[in-house]
Amino acid sequence: MAAASALGTLGQIAELPATRRVRVGVTGLARAGKTAFLTSVAANLLAAGAGVPVLPALAVRAGARPFSVALAPSGASDMPRFDYAAHLAALAADPPRWPARTDAVSLLALDLRIGWTGLLTPLPSRRVVLEFLDYPGEWLLDLPLLAQDFRAWSQAVLRRLERPEAAAVARDFLAFQRGLPAGAAADEALAAAGHALYRAALARLRDEAGLSFLQPGRFLMPAPGPEPPWMGFFPHTGEGGLAGLLRERYEAYRDAVRAAMQAPAFGRVDRLVVLADVLAALHAGPAAFADTEAALGAVARALRWRGSWLGALADQLPSWLAAGLGLGGIARVAFAASKSDHVAERQRGNLAALVRALTEVPEQAAAGAFAIASVRCTEDFVWSLEGRNISAVRGRVLGEARLTRSYPGEVPDRPPGPEFWKHAFLAPPVFEPMRLPDGGRAGVPQIGLDALLAFLLEDVL
Amino acid sequence: MTQVLEKEAPQRDNTLPLPRIEPEGDFAPRLDAPLSVPLPSAAPAAARGTLGLALSGAGVLALGFAVLGSANFVAAQFDRAAWLGWLTLAVAVAGFGLIGAGVWRELRGLFALHAVDRVRQAAASGDAASLKRALRPWLARQPDGPALIEALEPLADRAAVLALLRAGPLAALGARADALGRAAAVQIFAATAALPSPVFDGLLTGWRGARLVRQVAELHGMRPGMLATLSLLRRTALSAAGVVASDLAANTLAQAVLSNPLLRHAAGDVAGAGVAARRMIVLARAAAAACSPLPPA
Repeated sequence: MAAASALGTLGQIAELPATRRVRVGVTGLARAGKTAFLTSVAANLLAAGAGVPVLPALAVRAGARPFSVALAPSGASDMPRFDYAAHLAALAADPPRWPARTDAVSLLALDLRIGWTGLLTPLPSRRVVLEFLDYPGEWLLDLPLLAQDFRAWSQAVLRRLERPEAAAVARDFLAFQRGLPAGAAADEALAAAGHALYRAALARLRDEAGLSFLQPGRFLMPAPGPEPPWMGFFPHTGEGGLAGLLRERYEAYRDAVRAAMQAPAFGRVDRLVVLADVLAALHAGPAAFADTEAALGAVARALRWRGSWLGALADQLPSWLAAGLGLGGIARVAFAASKSDHVAERQRGNLAALVRALTEVPEQAAAGAFAIASVRCTEDFVWSLEGRNISAVRGRVLGEARLTRSYPGEVPDRPPGPEFWKHAFLAPPVFEPMRLPDGGRAGVPQIGLDALLAFLLEDVL
Repeated sequence: MTQVLEKEAPQRDNTLPLPRIEPEGDFAPRLDAPLSVPLPSAAPAAARGTLGLALSGAGVLALGFAVLGSANFVAAQFDRAAWLGWLTLAVAVAGFGLIGAGVWRELRGLFALHAVDRVRQAAASGDAASLKRALRPWLARQPDGPALIEALEPLADRAAVLALLRAGPLAALGARADALGRAAAVQIFAATAALPSPVFDGLLTGWRGARLVRQVAELHGMRPGMLATLSLLRRTALSAAGVVASDLAANTLAQAVLSNPLLRHAAGDVAGAGVAARRMIVLARAAAAACSPLPPA
């Protein structure tokens, strides 16, 4: 351990002349709270850099070393910037608003300057550029497609759609599918009709059934710009000309996904935050919960993980050298259940344990499970119910001027069995954010964010 | 995950009450963060100490008895002769007037420093409108200030206001402070190498440093008297600790290297002169940071 620490320090000293860039992918299924997470990370890191004690776990990790934080200039980069100021202003407004959901890749870059202590004090500060890449979770669900051909993918999708919880919502598309002859000729009108029905079914499955494992992800979250013709496909198990056309388009779609993964935007990501609204999945029922579990598992399996000894080597090398040697891949991942302030403190440990049980990552990658609230909305209190004292939360529901008490149910510490689902887990209300101290310049109230950042940046600080 | 699923699935405790969500009361204010974490103030306020109280008392006694003594003396002179009384009164008024003018100048210098603090507080905690309001008096004293006030008016984003100030007047002031620092450095370098004794080196560096701080303060629209200069020196030391840490680190490194007996022998006294000259440049930047209405970017 001491040797690793000394090696790390030597690696950091070797990096002095260069700027180290650490790219963190932040992804999550729809409404998991990516925008709130990034806004809170930026506000709290900026406040911590100004000396406000908002991230105690990170401060402990940094020790006595002074550090300052600033928004990094965007330079001539072609990557859209995360609109931090607008999102913070929305949270700080009175009445507050939740930031608008993002529908494209964007980048939040922070400039960290970390000083030295002891004999190394005269050395110039180390500069680390932390780049948080806001990556739509829907797009991450496209990764498993890279390992599946069109037929295998179509069979898997149609099997999922025919389950009871999905069949009713996807009725129109399934009826079209059943009416389609296996040897149907390649016809643009048929392809367009099937695509439109499938896409509508995906949207309804997300919005009405609360499902997450919906592919292809870009059907729900299209990339900016005009849509290319190869987007017009749908799952089909036939053998005719239409199936051939759809297969070609599926292959083109996979090529685009592969190219996007190798592009500098995502290719340089070496640590990842995966956010999931597990409480919403508990409310949506066993089918939606199993679907969330499947989606998280598929994402974990599809990511490119960094090899064990190569990863250890890459961690100690200057980033420019590690990149030059091609030692890429995800080395550190944090799975986080968001909106943990919607349950009482007593239950947050269970929430983190549940997330840990839902995800599976290779042993060589450092993985952590967390229950966080990027923007805290509630306070804990003891509620006397039916003669028992229950830990619950209360906060103001968005748009209302009174407090609402919430005890949505008990959070299990592992995937629940049939008995659990006999009692409803209530949908927590949409609470409004707590008042931001100094309009957000003194940080954003949060839960667990400092522990997550300390884990994620353990080898950087 | 497989291992977890093999365990018995969790069962619900049936003695627990059923989940529920209920409104509470009629009106409640917006929730605040559990711990309030105010921004650190620009300069820590010093408590009035025992010595300060004693010195204040001595000042009141000295000034009060001086006034009373002078008044008695003027009255006695009027008893002797009217013209002698008027003459004594004129001398007393002129003397006390000059003292008052000096005190007023000192207070004005201190007020100017407090004005800088007020702008800093607005920059740290206010929105764009309050920041612009706080900046207006300071900008009015700057060259091209009115034009800049007009340029700031349409800006509603605090970050944009700060960026414009840093790119415009503050950058210009910084460049001029650097020029003053370089001029002082050249003088110190030449004089230190020429002076016969290290005792004179220290005296010269101290005097030139204090003068440089005053020059930089005047550049920022202040005319510090003795008290304001002392306050400014204290602030400069504070800002030097935090604002130009990298410069100081480089300076410390240079000093450590050049203080090495072997290198010192090799480089001769010019090495010490070089360190002293570099201190002038660092001092000019620290003084500019202390006088600036905005904290460093």
